[in-house]
Amino acid sequence: MSVFGGDSWGRVAQHRKRRLEFLVAESVDASSYKKLSNGKYACLVCPQNPVIDSLFMLSAHCKGSRHRTAESRLNEREFDRQEELNKRIFLLGSIGGNANPNSATCSKKFKSPDYKPVSGEALKSAWEILSNKAPMQDSRNKTGDKELSASPATDRTTNCQLSVVGSSFPAAEASEEEVAKRFMDYRERRERELKFTAAGWKRNCHGKWYKDENVEFDSDEADPNVCLF
Amino acid sequence: MYLYSLTLQRPTGIISAINGNFSGGKTQEIVVARGKVLDLLRPDENGKIQTVLSVEIFGVIRSLAQFRLTGAQKDYIVVGSDSGRIVILEYNKEKNVFDKIHQETFGKSGCRRIVPGQYLAIDPKGRACMIGACEKQKLVYVLNRDTAARLTISSPLEAHKSHTIVYSICGVDCGFDNPIFAAIELDYSEADQDSTGLAASEAQKHLTFYELDLGLNHVSRKWSEQVDNGANMLVTVPGGGDGPSGVLVCAENFVIYKNQGHPDVRAVIPRRVDLPAERGVLIVSAAMHKQKSMFFFLLQTEYGDIFKVTLEHDNDRVTELKIKYFDTIPVTSSMCVLKSGFLFAASEFGNHSLYQFKAIGDDDDIESSSATLMETEEGFQPVFFQPRRLKNLVRIDQVESLMPIMDMKVLNLFEEETSQIFTLCGRGPRSSLRILRPGLAISEMAVSELPGVPSAVWTVKKNINDEFDAYIVVSFANATLVLSIGETVEEVNDSGFLDTTPSLAVSLIGDDSLMQVHPNGIRHIREDGRINEWRTPGKRTIVKVGSNRLQVVIALSGGELIYFEVDMTGQLMEVEKHEMSGDIACLDIAPVPEGRQRSRFLAVGSYDNTIRILSLDPDDCMQILSVQSVSSTPESLLFLEVQASIGGEDGADHPASLFLNAGLRTGVLFRTVVDMVTGQLSDSRSRFLGLRAPKLFSIIVRGKRAMLCLSSRPWLGYIHQGHFLLTPLSYETLEYAASFSSDQCAEGVVAVAGEALRVFTIERLGETFNETVIPLRYTPRKFVLQPKRKLLVIIEGDQGAFPAEEREAAKKECFEASGMGENGNGNMEMENGGEDEDRDDPLSDEHYGYPKAESDRWVSCIRVLDPKTSSTTCLLELQDNEAAFSICTVNFHDKEYGTLLAVGTAKGLQFFPKRSLTAGFIHIYRFLEDGKSLELLHKTQVEGVPLALCQFQGRLLAGIGPVLRLYDLGKKRLLRKCENKLFPNTIVSIQTYRDRIFVGDIQESFHYCKYRRDENQLYIFADDCVPRWLTASYHVDFDTMAGADKFGNIYFVRLPQDVSDEIEEDPTGGRIKWEQGKLNGAPNKVEEIVQFHVGDVATCLQKASLIPGGGECMIYGTVMGSLGALLAFTSRDDVDFFSHLEMHMRQEHPPLCGRDHMGYRSAYFPVKDVIDGDLCEQFPTLPLDLQRKIADELDRTPGEILKKLEEIRNKII
Repeated sequence: MSVFGGDSWGRVAQHRKRRLEFLVAESVDASSYKKLSNGKYACLVCPQNPVIDSLFMLSAHCKGSRHRTAESRLNEREFDRQEELNKRIFLLGSIGGNANPNSATCSKKFKSPDYKPVSGEALKSAWEILSNKAPMQDSRNKTGDKELSASPATDRTTNCQLSVVGSSFPAAEASEEEVAKRFMDYRERRERELKFTAAGWKRNCHGKWYKDENVEFDSDEADPNVCLF
Repeated sequence: MYLYSLTLQRPTGIISAINGNFSGGKTQEIVVARGKVLDLLRPDENGKIQTVLSVEIFGVIRSLAQFRLTGAQKDYIVVGSDSGRIVILEYNKEKNVFDKIHQETFGKSGCRRIVPGQYLAIDPKGRACMIGACEKQKLVYVLNRDTAARLTISSPLEAHKSHTIVYSICGVDCGFDNPIFAAIELDYSEADQDSTGLAASEAQKHLTFYELDLGLNHVSRKWSEQVDNGANMLVTVPGGGDGPSGVLVCAENFVIYKNQGHPDVRAVIPRRVDLPAERGVLIVSAAMHKQKSMFFFLLQTEYGDIFKVTLEHDNDRVTELKIKYFDTIPVTSSMCVLKSGFLFAASEFGNHSLYQFKAIGDDDDIESSSATLMETEEGFQPVFFQPRRLKNLVRIDQVESLMPIMDMKVLNLFEEETSQIFTLCGRGPRSSLRILRPGLAISEMAVSELPGVPSAVWTVKKNINDEFDAYIVVSFANATLVLSIGETVEEVNDSGFLDTTPSLAVSLIGDDSLMQVHPNGIRHIREDGRINEWRTPGKRTIVKVGSNRLQVVIALSGGELIYFEVDMTGQLMEVEKHEMSGDIACLDIAPVPEGRQRSRFLAVGSYDNTIRILSLDPDDCMQILSVQSVSSTPESLLFLEVQASIGGEDGADHPASLFLNAGLRTGVLFRTVVDMVTGQLSDSRSRFLGLRAPKLFSIIVRGKRAMLCLSSRPWLGYIHQGHFLLTPLSYETLEYAASFSSDQCAEGVVAVAGEALRVFTIERLGETFNETVIPLRYTPRKFVLQPKRKLLVIIEGDQGAFPAEEREAAKKECFEASGMGENGNGNMEMENGGEDEDRDDPLSDEHYGYPKAESDRWVSCIRVLDPKTSSTTCLLELQDNEAAFSICTVNFHDKEYGTLLAVGTAKGLQFFPKRSLTAGFIHIYRFLEDGKSLELLHKTQVEGVPLALCQFQGRLLAGIGPVLRLYDLGKKRLLRKCENKLFPNTIVSIQTYRDRIFVGDIQESFHYCKYRRDENQLYIFADDCVPRWLTASYHVDFDTMAGADKFGNIYFVRLPQDVSDEIEEDPTGGRIKWEQGKLNGAPNKVEEIVQFHVGDVATCLQKASLIPGGGECMIYGTVMGSLGALLAFTSRDDVDFFSHLEMHMRQEHPPLCGRDHMGYRSAYFPVKDVIDGDLCEQFPTLPLDLQRKIADELDRTPGEILKKLEEIRNKII
């Protein structure tokens, strides 16, 4: 508590407020709203996404009829989606099951003569999209477009169905590696930038690096304008 | 967090010392004040100083004086302390305690400028006592006797004079006329009013006599006269028939005799030849010796030279004052001339010494006299002398002193079982690195190789009345060797012992016959040489033996016990047989009690993890009296009888008791109390001693039974000042031991280890640490560990001294001039700043001090020291008046040098008239030759003194004045990368953890900072709201710092958890950047969680463990040379128990010198969450009824309380 001046109530009040907010926040489902950067809250349930000033208002809003209607509608939709999902999973499972009751590995599954690669693939991606489970894979498909389009070409040359899937898998892996690499690149780059900032370099509004006049540098120190670009 | 504070090593420095006959009779004793501890010392017949009593008084002793009532045989002690009370103590010889005779309150507590306590003066006839403050107040108490010859004290009489500063007071010896006290005073009333400073420059000191009119019961200013403004001390001159009365005024360069109605007699104090002209000579301590026919004074100067001052007088007229060079010893805070011909020198810094007088300086020597004093235009002509070797004194003993501890680290560099404490101690040429190890020091008397690996050793006397042992018997795997003890120790064959078999026990039986137990029988050797042999039945062999002087019990293989007794004729008779359920692991018989025929108890340890007590009484022989189950197999048993004591020299009040000790296979010593009537066992305690099962032996220490436990290291269990102490010995692992007593060594131990037989004695009982001393050259400042090679790098520095080369050159010149050959190895001497006891060296600096230079000259060095070999591998003397102040090792990131050493230095630093310096530097050194030597890489000039350096994220953080700066390593110099100038005063410590930086300011406690790489900025996000003058700091955890301030407090501060979380979860970083505190403070404040007044300035703090596998505690070292620990409690119950015990102790046992305990521990800030272990540990010194009373209040027995105290102590050390 501050000893400078007698305004110690300020922090206590702030604490109390924070504590209350914490308690209120517990009563509201955390996934149903979003805290905005300006400190206000947006309701994610209502289709208009109304912006609300405080947690107290939000809790009041959540009890309102409009919100509750929207919520039940949302739940209904979610339920439908889940049902659809289950249906398709079952369908996918039955395809696999027909192909090989033991259903050991994918490659074996795809070997079966009545297997339709395109529909299988489509089913799989549909399932993925619906289940909303793997955004990473989504993005991978987007970023790895090139590989995917390239792989059928190789298929055609080798004329082997197996290789289609076989190659599509390494392709996916490759794209994953690439993402990781990019991510690493980003990290590395960030690290290198940090090193320069820590060494006393600054950036102007054009992104150019310049030396902080209060900092000393070695005569042969690396210039980030050269190193990083 | 609750802490338990315990002093591990009492203060070793001495503030003041007095001598007298405190116990009555003829014995000369010394009472010394060590800050908060009052000790009674006594030189024993061998000239060794023994501490008879040591009492913590929970206050600050500022002055001591002794007095004796006319015609009495005993001296009383008057103590001036910070309690606002005058206390008169008497030493009680019977109980070995100080009894408080009187305690008179006169003012507020605390060391204040107008509350008396700083000065004490006694009327030489013991009729009155004056207690004075630094300013204004002086009180006189009349001391007298009542009809029952008890000492009485009057109410105080005031001798106040406002606006006066007092420099010194003393009693004036005027026989049995009214008592007179003299004081050097300075009146500042005019200086205070005059803003031009003219009056201040003209202020004059006066010598004032105060007379106590015993008839009117009133004190008056009798006489006042100007004295030199350099006057600093008064010494009483004998009067009333023994001398001329009056006082000696010690002033700068002069000693002046003054008395009322007597012209001044002035003589100049001789100067050392090499003393710069600008320096004066001041007297710092004085002692007077008076015999029937003569008296003389010994005055010591600030350079250590002692002068003998004599007065030529004709009744009351002093005709001549002579000052003759006497000898040179290290500078003292007090000197005591004992009537037995000793001089006790309580050193200002470093070890204290006891000297014996060889002569009293009657030979010719350099002398100055009032008769030959020449005054010329330039002033008085000085007299010069050259210090020489000791001529009149010879040193016979030393008392170790760590004062002052400048820095300390707890490290285990020697890979021993426990860590060692490395302390930088001392000042100037007397400085040293001391390696402290927990345990008693031993001195090895003899080591001799044996023809094989011995398994056991015993010593035996030939007759019960003999003083010394006759034989040492050593058993091997298949033989027994008998050595007779005489002038020399040699093998004998005529002893009667069977030497073709191993032995199981050898002892004296009855009054004068010997017994040897071997696997196949018992051999009883009578005094006349007759031998009786008892053989084991069948093929069974003896496995274990227990015996005392009159009883023997043997255990046969298979578990049969056979009991023998010595009958009236001295024959060994079989009395009883008893079959135990299984094999016997160990057995022991209690010693025969005084005046009895036999001991009643036999203890038998079995492999089924039990110890049984069997009766040896004829009525219920071999009946099991009690059974104790233990955690593992007992391997060795020992009964230890503690005799009843009613205090006395070495012990508190306690009844006789019998302890059974068992060494268990797991290395635990199990100790339990045996009821002396029923044999029931109670109050068991256990303590882990080492990795091997302890073997227990009974030995004699200071005439009392003690226990030696041999585990992976040896331990000694003994009683010291009422406490049972179990302390490790600093010695190697031993196999078997026995007590040893001979002509040369009255109380020793003989032991076997490996193939050698060792004889040693145990020294300095009662001490916690033993020390190894490595001398250093200058006052050590700080040190760091070179982690790879485990070398220590120390920075040392001194003001006002010459560099080594100049000193050496001057010395050579001086020797050549005086014609003395220099036999000492100059280079070595230079290296180590004066080897101790180096008799060949004519003038060791350790003894005589360095030649003095101007005060703006600095000398300093950086030393790399290998602690294993105690050798200095590299020593760099800094040039150009530079001195080192901070040091750290640093690994710069992505640079090729590896670990570098950074040293912060200042050039031409001056403190007077204003703090100024030419420049500050940060030196960067590279380690060469495996870290053994240093090479300067470059040095960077900075604008202030870099008082703190620390590695941080591959860079160097430096605190330069109020600036915290981050440096990177450049090619030619350090590169300034980032700084924060917002610190209030001067940064003295920096500690880092992750991206947090904990900065200690010299006046304003801790500041918590954070470094942000993305912005390259240092932010202060929290600070302390209490202005603490920081002397030591230690980083405890992420949010917590421990610190010590210069007023003697230790405290812990912690950042509140929510603030800490907020700081760490600040993703945008805006908060830390824009948040602002009020009044230039940081936005957040740390909270004080622990506060404790130690009463001594802690200079170093470290979290460490002093026992193997033990919990960590905070260890601190202080200026007065004491070490202490703060242990965190782990259970709430313990906190409750100890806080209640502390509360009761406060009530029932208030501190000796009148300071309120709670007030003392809260002297500057209220004590918070610390329990004073030193007070709790005074519990055993209380009278038994008081112990019981406190125990009842706590719902426990006194034994349980003692056990608790022992347990918690064992957790620390």
